[in-house]
Parts: sequence; structure tokens; C-alpha cells
Amino acid sequence: MNKTAIILAIAAISLSMQAQAEGAVEAGKAKSATCAACHGADGNSPTAMFPKLAGQQQDYLLHSLKAYKSGKRKNPIMAGQVTSLSEADMENLAAYFAAQPGLAVKY
Amino acid sequence: MNHPQKRTQILTSMLCAAALLTLAMSSHAAGDSQAGQQKNSMCQGCHGIPGYRTAYPEVYSVPKLGGQHADYIVAALKAYKSGDRVHPSMVGIAASLSDQDMQDLAAYYAAATPAAAK
Repeated sequence: MNKTAIILAIAAISLSMQAQAEGAVEAGKAKSATCAACHGADGNSPTAMFPKLAGQQQDYLLHSLKAYKSGKRKNPIMAGQVTSLSEADMENLAAYFAAQPGLAVKY
Repeated sequence: MNHPQKRTQILTSMLCAAALLTLAMSSHAAGDSQAGQQKNSMCQGCHGIPGYRTAYPEVYSVPKLGGQHADYIVAALKAYKSGDRVHPSMVGIAASLSDQDMQDLAAYYAAATPAAAK
């Protein structure tokens, strides 16, 4: 294969990955209506009983949702919420909330 | 000295003592953000480093604490201490924290930071 073809292939793959990432955030936003009831619009929860999700680490959010689903992490409210979520739903929700401005790493 | 005056004096001094005691207690119950900053050397190494991930039991990013609700942080620490939540590192750390430590640390992390580091 010549260099041009390789460069074009890499560019195409990168662009499609970018589009997929943005698609996940959009899909997550669409799915997040139920979450907002407790965690607030955009994940900025107004009450301490429900943690803020906005800006949280994406893989941590995904890990938490999976832990609620498997039962490794026990919370009666969340256990009910995740029963209806598919793997893709959880990935999209994690992408959406991670992309919102909010939490920060604090040293 | 007649009796009504003495009774009033005793009552007044009891009320003052009670008020002072209450003030002394309440100044400790709420979290002190500056005290929290002095106590967080165990937290910085994981929660304070951008991009830091746990390696065990699974690999994922350590959650951001900056700006989280203070009472939620306290509840999480208590859950690690009681065994309701099971992350091995956090269980060990929470076991070493008093209620006051938890309040102070939570107050420190809850305080909004000027720039959102990602």
C-alpha cells in the first residue's frame, strides 16, 4: 500500500472514532432523563444524598454502573435503576455525564 | 442576700455554661476545610493526581472529589468503614479516620476549586 492510502485510512478511522465518541454523549443525554430526577440536570445534583456526576471520570462512572448491575456495589435505589440499562446505555450515560462541567481533581 | 436573687444568679450561670458548652461542641461538629487540608496526605496520592487509575482489583480512574457534596463524601467514607462498600484501599483508609476527620476532609474536597483540572 502506498503512503497516501495509509494516511487516508488513519484519518478516516480517527474521524469515525471522534464521531462515535460524540454520538455516545448525545445518546447518553437522551437516556439521562430518569437520572436527572435524583442527580440533577447535567448531573449537578442539588442534594448530598445523590452524588454529583457532572465531570466525573468516564470509566469510573461506567465501572460504578456495572458494579450496581452485578450487585458488587449495593444500593437499593441504583440497583433498580440499572436493571433497564444495556451495556451500550451505560457507556453512553458515562460518556454524557463525564463530558459535563462540574467535578474536578483536587489535590 | 435574699433567695430570689441567688436563684436567678444560679440559673443565669447555668444558662451561660450551657451556652458555652453548646458553642464549643458545634464548632467541632461541622467540617473544617483547613483542617481537612492538613489531613489529606493519604488521599492526595490517588485522588489528587490527574489521570491516576487504581490497579487492583480492576483498572479504572480514581473518582474526582473536587466539588462533590460534603455529606456524600462523609457517607461514602462511613460506608467503607462499615463494610457497605468494599474497595480494599478505601476500607483501610476509612478505618483510620474519625468522624471529625471525615467531616474535615469532606469539607476540604467539597469547597469549589477555581479551575477544573481534567
